[in-house]
Amino acid sequence: MKLRRSMLFMPGSNSAMLSTAFVFKPDSIMFDLEDAVALREKDAARILVFHALQHPLYKDIETVVRINPLDTPFGLDDLEAAVRGGAHIVRLPKTDSADDVRRLEAEIARIEHACGREVGSTQLMAAVESASGVVNAVSIATSSPRMMGIALAGFDYVMDMQTERGDGTELFYARCAVLHAARVAKIDAFDVVFSDVNDDDGFLKEVDLIRRLGFNGKSLINPRQIELLHNAYAPTEEDVEYARRVVAAADKAEREGLGVIALNGKMIDAPIVNHARRVIQSALASGVRK
Amino acid sequence: MHVIQDYYSEYQSFTSGGLDWAVENFSDNPKLKDEIAEFLRSCDLELDGNITDFVTVRAANKLVACAGMGENIIKCVAVSPSLRGQNITLRLISEVTNLAADMGRYHLFLYTKPENQALFSRCGFYPLVEMPGTIALMENSPVGLARYCDSLAATREPGNKIGSIVMNANPFTFGHQYLAQQASDACDWLHVFVVGENSSLITYEDRFALVRDGLKNMPRTTVHPGSIYMISKATFPSYFLKDRGIVDQCHTALDLIIFREHVAPALGITHRFVGTEPFCEVTKKYNADMKFWLMQASSTAPAIEVVELERIAHSGTAISASKVRRYLRADDFEHMADLVPQATLDLLRVKYFDPGARVATGTG
Amino acid sequence: MKIIKEAVAGTLESSDLLVKVAPGLPDRLDIHIRSEVMRQFGAHIRAVIDDTLGKLGVTEGDITVEDKGALDCAIRARLQTALLRSVGDVKIDWEKLQ
Repeated sequence: MKLRRSMLFMPGSNSAMLSTAFVFKPDSIMFDLEDAVALREKDAARILVFHALQHPLYKDIETVVRINPLDTPFGLDDLEAAVRGGAHIVRLPKTDSADDVRRLEAEIARIEHACGREVGSTQLMAAVESASGVVNAVSIATSSPRMMGIALAGFDYVMDMQTERGDGTELFYARCAVLHAARVAKIDAFDVVFSDVNDDDGFLKEVDLIRRLGFNGKSLINPRQIELLHNAYAPTEEDVEYARRVVAAADKAEREGLGVIALNGKMIDAPIVNHARRVIQSALASGVRK
Repeated sequence: MHVIQDYYSEYQSFTSGGLDWAVENFSDNPKLKDEIAEFLRSCDLELDGNITDFVTVRAANKLVACAGMGENIIKCVAVSPSLRGQNITLRLISEVTNLAADMGRYHLFLYTKPENQALFSRCGFYPLVEMPGTIALMENSPVGLARYCDSLAATREPGNKIGSIVMNANPFTFGHQYLAQQASDACDWLHVFVVGENSSLITYEDRFALVRDGLKNMPRTTVHPGSIYMISKATFPSYFLKDRGIVDQCHTALDLIIFREHVAPALGITHRFVGTEPFCEVTKKYNADMKFWLMQASSTAPAIEVVELERIAHSGTAISASKVRRYLRADDFEHMADLVPQATLDLLRVKYFDPGARVATGTG
Repeated sequence: MKIIKEAVAGTLESSDLLVKVAPGLPDRLDIHIRSEVMRQFGAHIRAVIDDTLGKLGVTEGDITVEDKGALDCAIRARLQTALLRSVGDVKIDWEKLQ
């Protein structure tokens, strides 16, 4: 069960960042070919990312590539670079409907065929950035077996909604919609970028909110945010202690061939056990919350 | 002005450390000129008149660094002391290089103070020539000048007295022909260089063709095509502002130092011939500077004898190309015929005469 | 691949490189490299450049590199970008960029 608490954005045109980003340890790295890259550098960024993806230093980390939309002159070439370069996931920006996903899927399959990559191995992440996207979130999230996550992208969304980024009220409905869609489709849900890199308190407040809502993770633009985020997502000592006992009880029940798991006289069912395993995995990944 | 997009706005403060990078030019913003001039003065630099575009760096809207570009020349590169040590210059030159590339310019020159050459050597530039203590010229190729000189050396001819003339020939006149004849007679071989820029009334292609035609019967003479290293907008920009009467000391020096230290040795040139200049202030000054830099200034390269020859006259006045151009504007081909060979006359009549410019001179 | 026009790619920032390509003298491939780590890595940088040029079939031209300590993948990427820019609109053959 892959932890995806932190997804670090890297501009695909910046060689210095691409050459050093692997020292940070986010759960996933996202190479951006879209908004972070100027028009005149689109071709350069694509090739840089194509090579970086194959670099041994990125071997052990989950890689995501945000391509330009397919209806731009860049999208298809970006996709070739991403799939052929071996990215684990392709992030499609401005996904408004399931049709957008299906178009993307068809192109990916074609490229996988052409380059000998196992067909179906490239996963998808849909980024929803408009009212349409939010309203179509469920059909988007369930549109493809390749879909592993759905992300809300705040910047464009609030513009489409004719408002601006503020204390989170403006994202209220969108966050819930995206979250529900993710849970229905049984995929991951990702929250928006927090852009004020000097406001740790504000960042942590937002992280606390989305964690409690149930988001699996968040997009980050500053490596410093990784530690803060992982710590906020880390279970407390008590959580870990309880989780250990739950898992122990479940293991015991399995060993003894019992159909029912009991702890402290209460019945524990599968979702609780799964949650406990996630807690332990989190603790193993970044310790207990400080 | 357009903002240099590094990240979309959400990222910008993270990557640029609170600095805003942009490309600005004077045409959209008249106050910009004063602002940049003042900033440059604070960095002990003068704003150069030929610059059209600037890469600017601002902190809270205040200018803290800039680099100017005009044609394919980079100059007025300045970084506020508050930013030193942040490798701003590297990025400035990267951005200017990109800007130049967008305009289709790849072979770039850079003017700077001699002590800054080391800095720009880290930015993809290579030293060309230096006017000691004053100014240095660099280019972004390790082989540009060397290759040009190699190509010249392939046309080297033996002899003790090798002459040279650099002419714009706008257009080629009997005066040019006479000068070349005198020079050729005095030397074992003569090398004639035609200024390569297309900044004159007559196009470079036409000027070159007329020079070649006009000297075709002269033995022991080579006519060389123009070059970016021989009076060009890169090495001698103010030459092309002649009509505005601007004279730039530094540019003449650099142009002449290139000639003495690189061009002349490639061909074994020992003499340079010029006509006396009765009319144009810039050329007069240039001739005077020529004597200094080619003959008197200390240099690792041998001195080159500058020979000033009296211009051939017609009806008591020295023949000059500017006079020919006046006749052209007046549509007076009759008088013009006294000053230029047939080929020049024919070309001007066919290609350059302007019927709308006819001025009554009483000559029909 | 034939270099038709001049092109430039990359930057002078640390861990990057600035690459200029141009049609050069006929029948000649001239490569000029300047690097802050020339002594230790000059030969290696040259090897990566040669390999990249070889895979794209570039046999003529002027390649000028100002290296700022770039990784191999950046050297390949910037050189390939400059070459693709120098031939204008051409369909990328991804196999040759590997």
